[in-house]
Amino acid sequence: MFDATIVLQILWTSLATATYYVLFATAFALVLKVTRLFNFAQAAIMTIAFYTAFVGVQWLKWPGWAAFVLMMVVTLAASYALERIGFEALRRRGVSVMFVFVFTFIVSEFIAYLAMLIFGTWPQTVFPMIFWPVTLVGNIAISAWDLPAIGSTVAAIAALFAFMRFTRLGQFMVGVADNPDLAELYGINRRLVFLLAMLIAGALVALGMFLYGTRAQVLPQTALSLMLFAVAATIIGGIGNLGGAVAAAVILGVIQNASILVIPSEWQGFLLYVFLFLAIVFFPNGLRLPRRRERFGSATRKIAGEEASTPESRG
Amino acid sequence: MVVFGRGARRLLATVACISAFALCGSALAQDAFRFGLAMPLTGSQALYGQDQVKAAEWAVAEINKAGGVNGKKLEMLVLDTQADPQLGIQMANRLVSVEKVPAFVTAWSAVVKAVAPVANDNKVVELSVGANSPDIAKLGDYVYTTFPLADIDIAAVAKYAAASMGKKKAAIVYINNETGIVAADVYKKVFTANGGQVVATETYDPKATDFTGPLLKVRAANPDIIHLQGLVSDTPQVIAQMRQLGLTQPISSYSAAFNPKLIEQLGAAAEGVIATSLAPGADDSDKVKAYVARWQKEVNREPNGLPYTQYLYDAPYMVAAIFKSLDDKKIPVNGESFRKEMLAIRSFDLPLTGKTALGEDHTVVKPVYLMEVKGGKWTRKAVVGE
Repeated sequence: MFDATIVLQILWTSLATATYYVLFATAFALVLKVTRLFNFAQAAIMTIAFYTAFVGVQWLKWPGWAAFVLMMVVTLAASYALERIGFEALRRRGVSVMFVFVFTFIVSEFIAYLAMLIFGTWPQTVFPMIFWPVTLVGNIAISAWDLPAIGSTVAAIAALFAFMRFTRLGQFMVGVADNPDLAELYGINRRLVFLLAMLIAGALVALGMFLYGTRAQVLPQTALSLMLFAVAATIIGGIGNLGGAVAAAVILGVIQNASILVIPSEWQGFLLYVFLFLAIVFFPNGLRLPRRRERFGSATRKIAGEEASTPESRG
Repeated sequence: MVVFGRGARRLLATVACISAFALCGSALAQDAFRFGLAMPLTGSQALYGQDQVKAAEWAVAEINKAGGVNGKKLEMLVLDTQADPQLGIQMANRLVSVEKVPAFVTAWSAVVKAVAPVANDNKVVELSVGANSPDIAKLGDYVYTTFPLADIDIAAVAKYAAASMGKKKAAIVYINNETGIVAADVYKKVFTANGGQVVATETYDPKATDFTGPLLKVRAANPDIIHLQGLVSDTPQVIAQMRQLGLTQPISSYSAAFNPKLIEQLGAAAEGVIATSLAPGADDSDKVKAYVARWQKEVNREPNGLPYTQYLYDAPYMVAAIFKSLDDKKIPVNGESFRKEMLAIRSFDLPLTGKTALGEDHTVVKPVYLMEVKGGKWTRKAVVGE
């Protein structure tokens, strides 16, 4: 029943739909890597991003590019506010990691509720139409959404990696991620680096929500459910490993979709939880090459030790 | 001689006042027939709940404007459930124990199920208006529904596909939750019973954002018709992907698909999609036409979930008819007499949803309106069970 066309179609569509997951996972992993924070408030930023684009296109009747720019500006402003008013204030007060974690959930729920009051519970999309025309390439259906989605995601991720590898600010981020106290001793402005991580994450999720919202309907609670995949990819990819999160998001998407070839469709959604369970129980540091496992393990122990002992010391 | 202190005199005065108010209240209550309405006015479902309450309030106002129930006022006590079962129980308890109503109207399957013991234990009638879980038929002696349960429209669409459209091979694509599983089962049974064959049954996760895998399996089975049982939030995307993957067969669905936005979101890809409506539309009834026009005039839009609001508009008319019958026969009003009289009348002719006959199994059977997207708008294809 399943020929090469079906397999290739599944692979292609999985790759295309993995784009927004890659962006959400990278944003989540970046903030976790730099600030050591499980930032579930990312869902709030995602919700703000989507509804800003929605307002731009559907209420203000702006063209898509203008709504995109508006969305980026508003999302970056929201990320700035979240870092400066929320996280920075909490760090200054030396609250526990658990408290910050709870705070991120409250922010997400608060924004979801606010969105519900303003925009209602009817699902919305960025553009009025979500049907994208299709071109057949050797019997593989490629929609007009696929290539721009893949192109923009690859460009965004490549830009992020280049930024972290080749720019001074990017290296500061890596420095703070490796050892925030030592980085500060070397004169790196930790506040600035934390803010930068939040802003980059904001830009990534904004792009992700724009892609998602041009293809599927969004409800005020949608962002939180999309976050589950990002968290799974971050854990499976290895906490602190951005490349791992990207790869895990792509591979998880492909495996989940391709699984239909060998298992009944009702088990498809269950697979994500199986992977997550296995990763947490057997690979808490993520699936990594043996060569790098030792270094990462010690880094994780160091992070855990710092968080458990003196959160105040990290300011 | 007993001498009361100042504190005791105050207490006596307070008790006397309360008693006087209670007597006044009792006297007032005799001039009005009261029933409860417990709906989500806040929370995630408020968008629908508020419109449904508005519809019921309009109906009560119309009834009272036309002289009430034998000259007495019909009073509706509205309480907020947030569509939350726990809060629903609190509200039902208040209606039953404090407000002492003989009947109350509520909706949302989880709430209807949760408050059923309150209704049964206190012998107060619970009318479910809008919830469609098949379990509602088995919730006890005092729980009835005026809204057709889930299997009615699915059975109608399956029967129509096999018997009237002549489709021999069907595929079912459904969301993997209680509603989807039950509906897929009903569709399969009815389609098969009418001579058809289900060649593929595929499901997708409620959190899924891509449906390629299940849809390719459906494509490989090459059905004549595809039945989609999804949610309002995922149905347009699933249909879009079906068309993108070259599935050009007719697609049937249920009431979740019946909204103008589906056509806006899918454009030409929506052509041929069949959905159901459990209430007549504006083209079928002048009363519905006037009702929709009133929404446009007063609220400047159509109500959210138009058919549901039609049922809610009709609920006070049904309650008023029962009160009237009790009053005509001089029977004291309480939950037991209300239930008895409701079953004695059994069939009600209601303004916006037509004839409503309560079945022995606590459900109602209503005609199902099959709607099809043709030329970029919803048009009536057929009425099943008229």
